[in-house]
Amino acid sequence: MSKTLSEEELVVRLVKKDQSALDYLYDRYSGALYGIIFRILKKEEISEDVLQEVFLKIWDKIETYDTSKGKLFTWMVNIARNQAIDKTRSREISKAKKTDDIDYLVGKVDAQESNELYVDSIGLKEVLMKLSKDQLFIVTQLYLKGYTQSEVAEEFDIPLGTVKTRLRLAMIELRSLMDVK
Amino acid sequence: MNIEEYISSGVLEAYALGELSNAERSEVEQNLAQYKELRDELSQIENTLENVLNQLAVKPRAEVKIKLFDTVNKNSSTKAEAKVVPLFSTISSWRYATAASIAFALLSSYLAFNYWNRWKNSETTLANLITQNQQVAKDYNTVNQRLDQIELDVKITTDPDFTRVVMKGTPNAPQALASVYWNAKTSEVYLGIQNLRELSQENQYQLWAIIDGKPVDCGVFDGQLASLVKMKGINHLPSTFAVTIEPRGGKPSPTLETMQVAGNLSAG
Repeated sequence: MSKTLSEEELVVRLVKKDQSALDYLYDRYSGALYGIIFRILKKEEISEDVLQEVFLKIWDKIETYDTSKGKLFTWMVNIARNQAIDKTRSREISKAKKTDDIDYLVGKVDAQESNELYVDSIGLKEVLMKLSKDQLFIVTQLYLKGYTQSEVAEEFDIPLGTVKTRLRLAMIELRSLMDVK
Repeated sequence: MNIEEYISSGVLEAYALGELSNAERSEVEQNLAQYKELRDELSQIENTLENVLNQLAVKPRAEVKIKLFDTVNKNSSTKAEAKVVPLFSTISSWRYATAASIAFALLSSYLAFNYWNRWKNSETTLANLITQNQQVAKDYNTVNQRLDQIELDVKITTDPDFTRVVMKGTPNAPQALASVYWNAKTSEVYLGIQNLRELSQENQYQLWAIIDGKPVDCGVFDGQLASLVKMKGINHLPSTFAVTIEPRGGKPSPTLETMQVAGNLSAG
């Protein structure tokens, strides 16, 4: 399998149920997706189960992916986020969450102090540190913890419009910091 | 529509994160299809998102990939069983089985009816054949008896030991004619009728032999005889044979007035 498979080609082969395409997809994206899932669920075993569910869903539902509505990666991120968030609402997690409450609170405090525990990439950490405190908070909640915009707005008593604007500004900042074309 | 304002509302970021309601999402999708600026902006947002998340990647344990591919293979094989087999093989084989059993039932019924008919026909034919066979056998027996009779008649009429006595009609019955065959050695007497009128149920013919001037009873008979009939034997030479009409069963002595035929033994 070539290392430079275009997203378009990859989708075509996945639709044809080409397992080597799934192999490529896994190698290329499992880390990013697992990162999202693990930060939301914080339990290795459950996160691994969810990662498998996510890839099975991608494999089974690839026909429903519509190129005109966004990138394949974005589509997969949303599946992973939704699957992980669904899991937090399931029984096994709500039990675990109670015992985790203190850690969870600590995490929140840490985030507010701009000392993001879950960011293990030094390069990204440096980039994130260049964001304003407000922007970093929003990015952390939305991208790293799997909150929805309205959940952030409700939980931290910030108007939804403000959440959106801050995220927007953070994205623009990140874009220039990371030199995205 | 103010593109700048739309973009700065942050709706595209929310869209990329899948946080819009169905209505909002389809609105964004319509706008994306319409404005290239929005598509470019979304593409940049997505790339940024991908970049950030790639930086934040956590490598899952190797077992996860093995387990995933095991599941994919198992699913694809169970799908083959669950989809291909039931939809195309099992259902259609049930269809074929049903069709086959209906066809078989129809064929069996037809054959059963057909065979029943043939059996019924055969039975009728057989019954007819049995009847015919019985008839043929009966006819054969009749013919055989007749033949035996004729053979016997021929034997008697050609046997030189038998003396033939022709009895001609008396004035009572001028047209009447009968014959007697008498064997002196064996005392046998046979009667042959050429022409005697039919009698009523009350009467019978009676044959007499006149021996030494006295009538001797030789037995009674009915008028219509196809062949020779054996009568009572006589061991003395008679002079004459005669037939009278007597009440049924005969009489010890003849009623001479009713004599029909009579014939004398030719001398010698």
